[in-house]
Amino acid sequence: MSASRPDNAELQMNAYFDGELDAASARVFERRLANDAFLKAEYARFLSLRHAVRSIAPYDLPSDLLARIASTLDASSLGKAARPAGVASQVTPLHSPGRSRQRSWSFRALAAAALLGAVISSYVMVTINRYNLRQAIASQVVASHIRSLMAPQPFDVASSDSRTVKPWFTARVHEAPQVLDLAPQGFMLVGGRVDVVGHDAVATIVYKHAAHTISLTTLPPGQSVSDRAIAGYNVRSWDDAECTYMVVSDLPHAELVAFERAFTTESAALEYN
Amino acid sequence: MFDEVFLPHMAEAYRLAHWLTGNAYDAEDVVQDAALRAFRGIKTFGAVNARAWSLTIVRNTAYSWMTKNRSKAVVFTDDLSVTEQQQIEQEGLQGTRVETPEEIALFKADAEEVQRALVKLPEQFREVVVLREINQLNYRDISEITNAPIGTVMSRLSRGRQLLIAILGDRR
Repeated sequence: MSASRPDNAELQMNAYFDGELDAASARVFERRLANDAFLKAEYARFLSLRHAVRSIAPYDLPSDLLARIASTLDASSLGKAARPAGVASQVTPLHSPGRSRQRSWSFRALAAAALLGAVISSYVMVTINRYNLRQAIASQVVASHIRSLMAPQPFDVASSDSRTVKPWFTARVHEAPQVLDLAPQGFMLVGGRVDVVGHDAVATIVYKHAAHTISLTTLPPGQSVSDRAIAGYNVRSWDDAECTYMVVSDLPHAELVAFERAFTTESAALEYN
Repeated sequence: MFDEVFLPHMAEAYRLAHWLTGNAYDAEDVVQDAALRAFRGIKTFGAVNARAWSLTIVRNTAYSWMTKNRSKAVVFTDDLSVTEQQQIEQEGLQGTRVETPEEIALFKADAEEVQRALVKLPEQFREVVVLREINQLNYRDISEITNAPIGTVMSRLSRGRQLLIAILGDRR
């Protein structure tokens, strides 16, 4: 390989090194890397280069620069309308110690505000992320329900006997769910299916109430969302110590509340027996 | 608004300005100037990527600052003639022929040597290497900041790394 224009392998190597290849291309490249001594040697040089570059001591923000900028901005917002251009001419002259001393209180305030802002915004981001994640899970559960209604049967195993449905799940999902017969309360067990939420197989139990199908998905704990309608289907969820239960149906909200009550009562009764 | 968008990236902004201008004094001027531009232009911030937006301003400010304040204009090899460009690409810096990687053994460079090598790199290679390795941005952000297509970012990074390895390999 000549050292002039980077060829394709070279670019791929850079992309791989920078984590910019998709998973499939990365695997292909890794195989190539394993069998190519030349690429391997170059990859090792890349690693030592990265190590060396990242060991350069970072240039630290001079402590009074924030203060100088704050005072420049103060000055500029006062006479802002009058002077739209000539940005550089308004920049506070550098190395004017008097000015920076005078404004050092504002630097502290600014620095504290920036830090506080960073802490708050990271907390908010985490909360928002968590919220979005739950939202996404609820959407996937609803999508599975919709898909099941398109299939000839909304379940993979048909049985109104919880003793048939439960062992069927044991072989297929990590945690086999409680399979409760709620026929006396008006919710007929018709079967079960496995849905995929995120990348995990989860158990969904299917009930019928009159002509309506109800999907009850058992998720790992801590995923419940507030009651809502997604794509026209009502969603209700609740937690117990082990799982989050999410029920999806075109039944009205009140019926889902009744379903939850029936389920939790039956579940509690079972535990006491 | 300005406080949430630009201020959190001030330390990074300064670091980038320092690498682009090559010294602390100029970096301070550039960051001040960039802050003012960001402050005035905050309404143009589209709430997409505050970091990339801030660094774009810093990068552009640095180049216009250098063009204005330095006798030597900022030269991008893209603006050079094809022959000149080939010459730079094939010979590397200061006429040293870039060794093919087979010729260079695994090198061990200390931070100071790498820093000197990085400073020697032509601007358009240095900025992508700095944005990638020091600011640790992804290709998409680098492409946005340098206003170059991702393909160009990739080939500059690749060339920049080869040049650095060549410079560092040349020491002995």
